[in-house]
Amino acid sequence: MLEINELRKRFAGGPGAPAAKIALDGISFAVRPGEMFGFVGANGAGKTTTMRIVMGVLQADSGSVTLRGAPLSPDDRRRFGYMPEERGLYQKMRVAEQIEYFGRLHGMSATAVTKATDDLLEQLGLTERKNDAVQALSLGNQQRVQLAVALVHDPELLILDEPFSGLDPIAVDALATVLQERCRGGVPVIFSSHQLELVERLCDSVGIVSAGRMVAEGAVADLRAAERNELRVVVRNPAPGWADGLPGTVTVDGDRHTLRATGGDDQEILRRAVKAGRVEHFGAEQPSLTEIFKEAVA
Amino acid sequence: MNGLMLVARREITTQVRTKGFVIGLLITALLVAAVSFAPKVLGGDDSYTLGTVNSQQLPLQAAAPDTTFEWRAFPDEGAATQAVLDGDVDAVLVNGSKVLTDGKIDDELGVLLQSVNREVKLGAAGVSIPPLQMQSVGADTRYESARAGIAVVLVLVLFMLIMGQVMMVAMGVVEEKGSRIVEILLSTVRPWQLLGGKILGLGTLGLINLVTILVVGLGSAMASGIATDFPPGIPGLVAAVLVWFVLGYAFFAALAAAFGSLVSRQEEVGSVLTPLTMLVMITYFVAFYATNDATGTLATVVSYIPPFSSMVMPVRMAATEVPLWQVGASMAAMVLAVLAVLAFGAKIYERAVLRTGARLKLGDVLRTK
Ligand SMILES: Nc1ncnc2c1ncn2[C@@H]1O[C@H](COP(=O)(O)OP(=O)(O)OP(=O)(O)O)[C@@H](O)[C@H]1O
Ligand SMILES: [Mg+2]
Repeated sequence: MLEINELRKRFAGGPGAPAAKIALDGISFAVRPGEMFGFVGANGAGKTTTMRIVMGVLQADSGSVTLRGAPLSPDDRRRFGYMPEERGLYQKMRVAEQIEYFGRLHGMSATAVTKATDDLLEQLGLTERKNDAVQALSLGNQQRVQLAVALVHDPELLILDEPFSGLDPIAVDALATVLQERCRGGVPVIFSSHQLELVERLCDSVGIVSAGRMVAEGAVADLRAAERNELRVVVRNPAPGWADGLPGTVTVDGDRHTLRATGGDDQEILRRAVKAGRVEHFGAEQPSLTEIFKEAVA
Repeated sequence: MNGLMLVARREITTQVRTKGFVIGLLITALLVAAVSFAPKVLGGDDSYTLGTVNSQQLPLQAAAPDTTFEWRAFPDEGAATQAVLDGDVDAVLVNGSKVLTDGKIDDELGVLLQSVNREVKLGAAGVSIPPLQMQSVGADTRYESARAGIAVVLVLVLFMLIMGQVMMVAMGVVEEKGSRIVEILLSTVRPWQLLGGKILGLGTLGLINLVTILVVGLGSAMASGIATDFPPGIPGLVAAVLVWFVLGYAFFAALAAAFGSLVSRQEEVGSVLTPLTMLVMITYFVAFYATNDATGTLATVVSYIPPFSSMVMPVRMAATEVPLWQVGASMAAMVLAVLAVLAFGAKIYERAVLRTGARLKLGDVLRTK
């Protein structure tokens, strides 16, 4: 289990940004083995900063990151796979060579790395480009190479900063499949994204960051349950004043009246609606992750 | 294989595979060979073809052992004249009393013919003159010009190789920083491994260049025969040059990495490196000055001061005899300086290389932890 405890990070002002900036304000969360963790938050919320600290490329002012209870060591990190927000590859190096180089840096043997690279290129649909220089690839394909670099050494944990941005829908599915496979194999995956439907579809848990703090964390279903679910009733052509005394608000669109209410006696509301006219819809609305997100960071 | 070696190997294979490296190496080799043959081609003729008409060959060989003489006999003066005019022979001795030449005779050959002729005639008359004994009361200056020439070439080679490789180190650092690849690299290897591997790899390429130059240079010097003018102790000098290259390169490369890590764009490399390139240039100029005055106080003193010693000491070693203890002391000082600069460079690099964006100030980097 990877635990992030009370991380704080303040960036001193410099020539480019005169004011000092608190990027992380005591963020904490945990990721369990085999869990796909979606890391969401507004621009500048602190996702990238958190991931950089976990990967050891940035030092926190205070707080700790532990793996199975012990502070992370460089050796632990070598077994992680990392895809930074700002992609970086040797532009002139060939695709396969580049992936192999990073595999070797992660401590793989020459034979193991060749096989792993071939498999990955196959999975990511890059086999035909294996001998091309990276700079000859389209942005999306470079991103696939970047992902391969993060995956080649069969990492124990994956930290991916916006891995889906810039990918076409087919590549998104391919990447999602790869990640789900790794996850089923017991590898925790932490990824940040602004594509909330995707996060909702893929993740076991999500964490919502706002201004350097975790404001909501847990399974998407639990977050929903925590929200007060909204009841939505649509009645056709009801008698005027049918909803008087009921909680919530009514909006009228032609002869269609919609009542949205939170709390109150739903059975009583149903009885009144049936009496008033033809009930077209009656049900609890599940908030989408987008709504939960907006609520949480508001 | 550990991180450092992997990084070094990548640097080497990437460079070796470029056309630039191979072509550069070939051009260097050709240039060096040309320089080594040049004195032979441009220098005076030291072989003569001579003719005789009704004369004895003169014992010129005994008087000028380093020169080769070829003799031809002609039946009469007419045939000899034609041969001289055709340029087939340099001079023809006629009847033991007259020399035919085409225009003014080569000075050296003229003096030689006159003096040997006189000696032969006197000898026939029973007079023998013992040759003058030459004795130098000053320093052994036989190899002075050869030594000075070697020193000039050496310092130029050292300067160009060090400058070239040091620029590559800085550019490599900036490439990795600017492209942000350093972020993934540093999540797998330690900063000192990344930096050390780069310095080691590019240094190895520099050594390959240097060895090529030395081998081609010495090889062509031997082939062309000018190696016979070389002073003794060339193997020692070659070994010392290799060591001095490694030390000088390590010193400047560590600084180049530190300065390079302050910027994120290739366009800024030149300006951020200016103090360093100045230092390399000054070192070169001092060393070049020392080629003229290798025994002077300036050269002697500066040959102990890092990093100047990395070029001045090899100049002194080439130009004069330097006692071994002096070389040792100077090398020891340089090794200490290299270690200090490596530690300093690694510290700056580690702190600066992840801070992309605007150019950082050295002072700021030193202050922040
Ligand atoms: N090197 C830095 N120097 C100064 N401030 C920084 C630096 N890096 C990040 N910050 C600040 O820290 C805050 C958090 O940034 P971070 O990049 O972690 O956000 P994020 O959640 O990844 O945003 P996004 O969704 O836009 O990627 C921002 O306000 C940013 O301006
Ligand atoms: Mg980010």
